[in-house]
Amino acid sequence: MTYHQKKEVIAMLLAGGQGSRLGVLTDHVAKPAIPFGGKYRIIDFPLSNCVNSGIDTIGVLTQYQPLELNTYIGSGQPWDLDRLYGGSFILPPYVKGKAGEWYKGTANAIYQNIKFIDLYDPDYVLILSGDHIYKMNYNLMLKYHKEKKADCTIAVIQVPWEEAGRFGVMNADADLRIREFEEKPKEPKSNLASMGVYIFSWQKLKEYLLKDKEDKDSQSDFGKNIIPTMLNQGEKLYAYEFKGYWKDVGTIESLWEANMDTLNQDVPLELDDPPWRIYSRSSNLPPQFIGEHAQLINSSIADGCFINGTVENSILFPGVQIEKGAVISNSILMPGVVVDENAVVEYAIIANKGKVGQGVHIGYWKLPEIGGKHRNITVIGQEVLVAAGAVVPAGAIVGENVIEEV
Amino acid sequence: MNILGIIFSYSDRENLRELTKRRTLASLPMAGKFRIIDFVVSNFVNDGIYDVSVIARNNYHSLMDHLGSGKEWDLIRKRGGLRVLTPYARSDNEKVGLYRGTIEALASNMHSIRRSMGEYVILSGSSILYSMDFNDLVEKHIQSNADITAVYTRDLNGFPTVPMGVSILRFNDHNRLYDMTINMEDMSQHGITWSTEVFVIRKSLLESLVADAIAYGRYDFLEDILKRSVNNLNIQGYEYKGHLLEFSSVAGYMQANMNFLNREFRGKAFKRPIYTKSKDSVPARYYEGCQVKNSIISDGCRIEGTIENSIISRDVRIGKGAVVKNSIIMQNTEIMKDVLLDHVILDKDVIVRENRRLSGHVTYPVVVEKASIV
Repeated sequence: MTYHQKKEVIAMLLAGGQGSRLGVLTDHVAKPAIPFGGKYRIIDFPLSNCVNSGIDTIGVLTQYQPLELNTYIGSGQPWDLDRLYGGSFILPPYVKGKAGEWYKGTANAIYQNIKFIDLYDPDYVLILSGDHIYKMNYNLMLKYHKEKKADCTIAVIQVPWEEAGRFGVMNADADLRIREFEEKPKEPKSNLASMGVYIFSWQKLKEYLLKDKEDKDSQSDFGKNIIPTMLNQGEKLYAYEFKGYWKDVGTIESLWEANMDTLNQDVPLELDDPPWRIYSRSSNLPPQFIGEHAQLINSSIADGCFINGTVENSILFPGVQIEKGAVISNSILMPGVVVDENAVVEYAIIANKGKVGQGVHIGYWKLPEIGGKHRNITVIGQEVLVAAGAVVPAGAIVGENVIEEV
Repeated sequence: MNILGIIFSYSDRENLRELTKRRTLASLPMAGKFRIIDFVVSNFVNDGIYDVSVIARNNYHSLMDHLGSGKEWDLIRKRGGLRVLTPYARSDNEKVGLYRGTIEALASNMHSIRRSMGEYVILSGSSILYSMDFNDLVEKHIQSNADITAVYTRDLNGFPTVPMGVSILRFNDHNRLYDMTINMEDMSQHGITWSTEVFVIRKSLLESLVADAIAYGRYDFLEDILKRSVNNLNIQGYEYKGHLLEFSSVAGYMQANMNFLNREFRGKAFKRPIYTKSKDSVPARYYEGCQVKNSIISDGCRIEGTIENSIISRDVRIGKGAVVKNSIIMQNTEIMKDVLLDHVILDKDVIVRENRRLSGHVTYPVVVEKASIV
């Protein structure tokens, strides 16, 4: 005999995108694996949201640079996702019969895993992506989906009208039934932007995925194909309005801003929230040590750091080392970064294990000469060495070792 | 080579006042986010020994809570893994609880020890050692044809004198133990070989020695097995050259902690990972106006005041204008505005209200009991 175990809802997390707008930061890792908020990675947010919402079965679809993401998720234990039945599963594309194929679009990725989803015989499937920072109870959205007897519910958030054109925008009735979906419209008719969080009734979604497979012209994308087709066929699609902090961290600028938001008490993104913790894999490093010459102002500092310089409005990930006389301001230093004596780092993101030599100046900004008002963020890539004395101007994106002045 | 690690989580000769009133020695916080037992358990795991038993005697609730299933130390195993051996009641023996000595503790847990696949047993106390090469130790034990190998050190780091109660081991020219005494006064440690409370013995020999001792009504491993057997067993010495932190008094506990403020010491102590229970706290947050110097700070802390030469555990809040010096502050403690603390140990969950002042001395730190409100 066998026991039939069914899950009411399972989540599918699209984690295969490259995130090319993040430049050197995604040279070695997929976007969801990028460090965020002092000790987390972007993917910790959707994973923790799921677990905190009572969803314990999550397929993580990977494609681009999956190795780090695979090791990070591992058995799923940090998120309580090591389960007897269910848990977390890494789902890369695989060979079927004589041929295999890459995931060609978001919907195609789900299509290729229909068999995985059917193993759990779910009533609903939650589709998530690994590019957003937010704390959300998906269970409330599922309740709404059931109340509305919807075929698909799309989480939306109000954005400023002038920014609406950057998002997928929902035009909905007063009762939030969606009539039209426009991807990045020039003249938006609504300011309800899609958060990239969908709940589908599984049988309905499966039907459309199978149909989409037959359509040779389809790009197999949820926003471009599946949702417009469902709307055309008169299916019931509802918008679910989320009121809280939500940020797409797909660009250098937005990634920097969202990190800085964690230092700002006026922004409603409280990470120190015991009933809704964000879980992450532990670095297993000893506690941080603050030295004789340290000056700390409004900053977040993680385990394993050694700080003997000045740190202001900055976020230091585990194992960062700041030597005497160094000044770090308005910057994000990812795990294992070393900053030598008397170096200055301002408005910068330094990726894992970057090394900043003595007296280096990163993010050097000559306002009067450039004449610009906007100060661009400087980015130093993973394991990049910036040798002693070098000056890296504001806005530079550095992917290779710097021996002299840029 | 199959090795079983056995850790005694308590000590008969500690006097840590309020600190061990409600917890056993091994679960005492150390170096910010750790507990004493994390160091020895991590040492076993880092040396590939995944069969570890912890002997508990009394007040072991916090130890059980900390160790849980052992997953943080990678000790959820089908072969071996972590076992916490607690005293239990038997219908034919109504005496429960306090073992009369280490032998009785081993004897009453012999069914579990016997079941282990380990051929050799490493016995350890709950002091801090972190870089002992257990595999080399057992290899040397086998090469030297020893019946028992006793690990000694010449340097109890951080202590100008050695506290009472530590055993002095004396070895002859062939590195064979010929005498063992208990240190009865604070003495200078020059040239003396101290016991680290780590011993290696073949499991089958341990079983018969324990059975024998119990039959004669003898209860203490050091006194009744080691000391009595110097002539008929070959007890060899093995020198541990790393640091050993041993504490039997509150002042000693404080000094042991303060070692971690030294960069070189930390480099050695944390050369290999020390695993501990994960709390999923946020990173430490430093606010405008804080001043922190020469201190260890753990995650989850929110710091607005001044901290010097101190060790701060997880989830501690230090308010504006508060000054904390030369102190150890344990988890989830709240220090409100304008408090002044010097040479103080605040146990877990303590609240110190605004403007309170507490001051001890390096020889006698003030200890504030768990969950007190000052």
